[in-house]
Amino acid sequence: MEYALQLDHVSKHFGTFTAVDDLTLRVPKGCIYGFLGQNGAGKTTTIRMVMSIFHPDQGTLSVLGHPDAQQVKDRLGYLPEEKGLYKKMKTAEIVAYFGKLKGMDASTANLRARELLTRYGLGDWLDKKCEALSRGMGQKVQVLGTIIHEPELVILDEPFSGLDPVNRDTMRDIILDMKRQGRTVIFSTHGMEQAEQLCDYVMMIHKAKLQFAGTLASVKQGKDLGIRLDYDGDGRVLKDLPGAERVNDNGKNAEIFLRRGQDPQQALRWLVERVTVRRFDYREPSLHEIFVRTVQEADARLAGAAGGAR
Amino acid sequence: MASKTLLVAQREYLDNVRTKTFWLGILAFPAIFALAIGIGWVMNKTKATQAYTVLDLTAARLGDRIEQNARANDLIASLRRMLREDAAALAALPDLDAVDATDPESMQTLLRDAPKDAAAKLDPAAAQKLLASIETIGQKYRFVPLDELAAATGTRAEREKLLNQRINDGRLFAYFVLDGDPVVDSSQLTYVSNNLTDDALRDWYEGAATRVIRKLRVADANIEPAVARHIQQWVGFKAEQVTATGEREDVKKEQKANKFAPVVFVYLLWIAVFTAAQMLLTNTVEEKSNRIIEVLLSSVSPGQLMAGKIWGIGATGLTLILSWALCGLLGVSLGTKVVPQLAEWNLQDIVGDPLYLASFVGYFLTGYLLFAAILVAIGSVCNSLKEAQNLVQPVFILLMIPIFAMVPIVQEPNGLMARVFTYIPLYTPFAMMNRASGPPPAWEYAVTTVLILFSVWFAFRAAGKVFRVGVLMTGNPPKLREILSWLRQE
Repeated sequence: MEYALQLDHVSKHFGTFTAVDDLTLRVPKGCIYGFLGQNGAGKTTTIRMVMSIFHPDQGTLSVLGHPDAQQVKDRLGYLPEEKGLYKKMKTAEIVAYFGKLKGMDASTANLRARELLTRYGLGDWLDKKCEALSRGMGQKVQVLGTIIHEPELVILDEPFSGLDPVNRDTMRDIILDMKRQGRTVIFSTHGMEQAEQLCDYVMMIHKAKLQFAGTLASVKQGKDLGIRLDYDGDGRVLKDLPGAERVNDNGKNAEIFLRRGQDPQQALRWLVERVTVRRFDYREPSLHEIFVRTVQEADARLAGAAGGAR
Repeated sequence: MASKTLLVAQREYLDNVRTKTFWLGILAFPAIFALAIGIGWVMNKTKATQAYTVLDLTAARLGDRIEQNARANDLIASLRRMLREDAAALAALPDLDAVDATDPESMQTLLRDAPKDAAAKLDPAAAQKLLASIETIGQKYRFVPLDELAAATGTRAEREKLLNQRINDGRLFAYFVLDGDPVVDSSQLTYVSNNLTDDALRDWYEGAATRVIRKLRVADANIEPAVARHIQQWVGFKAEQVTATGEREDVKKEQKANKFAPVVFVYLLWIAVFTAAQMLLTNTVEEKSNRIIEVLLSSVSPGQLMAGKIWGIGATGLTLILSWALCGLLGVSLGTKVVPQLAEWNLQDIVGDPLYLASFVGYFLTGYLLFAAILVAIGSVCNSLKEAQNLVQPVFILLMIPIFAMVPIVQEPNGLMARVFTYIPLYTPFAMMNRASGPPPAWEYAVTTVLILFSVWFAFRAAGKVFRVGVLMTGNPPKLREILSWLRQE
C-alpha cells in the first residue's frame, strides 16, 4: 500500500518535556485519517513536525515520499489550530493569495477562489473584507485557502472547533469532497462524533504516546460490546442495573457495559420495567467510550508505573 | 522561490498603499510643513501695530530727533533691500550717517526725497512697487503724539499716571521717558511696557537713540564726523570660497542654502526610515498575534516571508519619499511663483540636485534595510505591540542620535565627528546624507557603500536566524541570552 504519510519512531522534546514519544504511524493515500487526543497530548506537535515547522529529535518521517515537507510544500495543504486572516483583505483576495503562495498562477487562483467561495456558500462575501466575517465564515475562508491549490495531502488542525451545526456540515462536505477527489485528509479533533462519521482511520495519542491506530473497525474490534439505550424517565436507576460494569448516562440516552457473561436480554427486561425504552442496541462501543476508557487505562498504567518505581 | 518573496512583498505593499490613511499620512506631512511656514508668515504679517509714545523731558527735545532717525534708518534699510539688484540705484542712496541726525529738517528731506530718488533710478513698474511698499514701512510701530493721549501738558507725575492708564487699557503698547541730558548721562531713560517678552520695539528705539546721541557726543568732543564714522565702522570680512579650479569666488545665498539643505534631507530621511521601520514592526507583531504566520509558513520559508515583508514595506517607504520629493518639487515651483523672494534661494536646484536625490533614495533604502532587519527580528519574538514597544525603545533611542548630530555635521561635513559617524554602520546612511554638501571624497563613498552593504547583509542573516525561531514562539519573549544562542546556531 502507498502511504501519504509515514512516521517511524519519531520523538520530539522541548527541554525536559516530551511532546511526542516514539511515534510510528502510516497514513494510506486517499483516506480520511483522524488524529485524536486530549489537549496537549501531542497532536499539534506531530502535525507541525509533518509540516517541517519543527524537526523531530529522533526518528524519520516521509511526506508524499519525501523526508521533508518543504520539498513538497506546494502539494500540501495545512490549516493550523490557531487560525488567522488578514483583516483588511477581501475574502476572494486572501483565498487567491494562499493559492498563489502555493505556486498557482494569478488568474487561475483568482478564478478558483471565487468559484470555491461561491460553491461553499460565501458567494455574497467575495468582495467583503475579512474583518466583516463571522467566526464560522472566517474558518470556511481559511479552509478554502488551504485547499485551493488542490493539494494531495491536507492536514486540518481542529477544523470543527467553534463551528455551528450548519458550518460543521459544510466543513464535513469539504472534507468528503476532497476524499472523493482522491486526496488524503488528516484532521485532528476533540469531536468523537465527527471522527466516527468521517474517518476511515483513527489514531489516538495520550501524553505523547500512541495508544492505538488503525481503521475505525479494527480499533473497535475486540472491545466489549455495550448497550446503547435511548430512554425517557429517571436515569438514576440505571446504575442499579444488575451486572452493569460502567454506565455513561447522558440523560436521554446512555451507554451501558455489562460484566463478562451477563445477558443483555435480561438487562433489557430489567430496563423496560423501570424506564421507557425507545431504542435498544447491543453493539461495539462508541469512539467516545473508547477514548475515555483509553485515557483512564493509560493514566492508571502510568500511575502504576510511577507507583512501581517508587 | 524568489517569486514567493515577491508575492509576500506585493501583498504587503498593496495592503499599505491601498489604505486611505497611508495617503492622508503622505499628504499630511508636507501640508503640516507648509502650514507651519504659512502660520509663521501670517503671524508676522498680522502682528498688531505696536503703539507707543515718548514723554520727552529733555531740554534739547531729543525725542523728535530719535523718532526721525529711527524712521530714516528704516527707510534706508528697506530701500537697500529692495534695490539690492540695482547697483547704480544703491550707490545713489544717501548714507544715513552722512545726514545730520540732529537736524530735523535734513532728516525730513531725506524721508521725503530718498524714495523718489531711488524710484527715479528704476523702471516705472518697479518704482510703483517700491513706493507702495515704503508706505507700509511705518506701520509696524506707530508713534502716538502726546496730545492725542491728552498728556501734552501737566506735571510729570500726572502725565505718567495717564500714560500708565493707557498701557493698562491697551491703547499703548509702551512708552519711553527721556529725562536729564542723555548726551551726558543716559541713566534717566525708561521704557515702560507690560509686555515683557517682545523687546523688538525697545531694541528698535534704542538703536535710533544710540545713533542720535552718539552723533551729539562726537560733536561735543569736537571730533570730525568723518573721523568718528571711521572709528565706529564695523569691521567685516567678505565671504569667498574656492572653486574646483582653484579660483576664488563670492559666496552666494543659494550656495549657503545648498550647504544647509542636507539637514532637511537627513530629517526627511530619518522620518521616512522611522515610519517604514515602525510600520514593519507593527505589521510583524500583528501577523504573529493574528496567528496567520503559521499558515504562511506552510507555504513559504521564514526567510522568504521575512524578505518579502521587508521589501514590501521598503517599497511602501519608497513610495512615501518619492511622493514627498514630488510634493517638494511642486511646492518649490509653486512657492517661487507666489513668493518671488524664494527664487533667489534657488531651491529648485537643491530639490533637483542629482547627488542629493540619489543619496536620499539610496540612503533611505540602505538605512531602512538596516533598521528593518533589527525591527523585524524584534517583532518576531513579541506577541503583542505592547511587548514590542518595550523592546524597541533602545533601538529608537539609537535612531535618535543622527538627529542630534545633524547640525554639527553639516557645519563640518568632513570633520572628525562626521567621519566617526560615517563609519558606524547604523549611522552611515544618515551621516553620508548629512555630508552631501561637502561632498565627501569619492573613496569614502566607495568604502561606505561596501561597509553598508556588508552591514545590511549581516543584519539580514542575523535577523533571519532570530525570525525563524521567534516567529513561532508564543508566551514570554525570549531573553537576550537565548537570542544570542539562536544567532550562533547554523
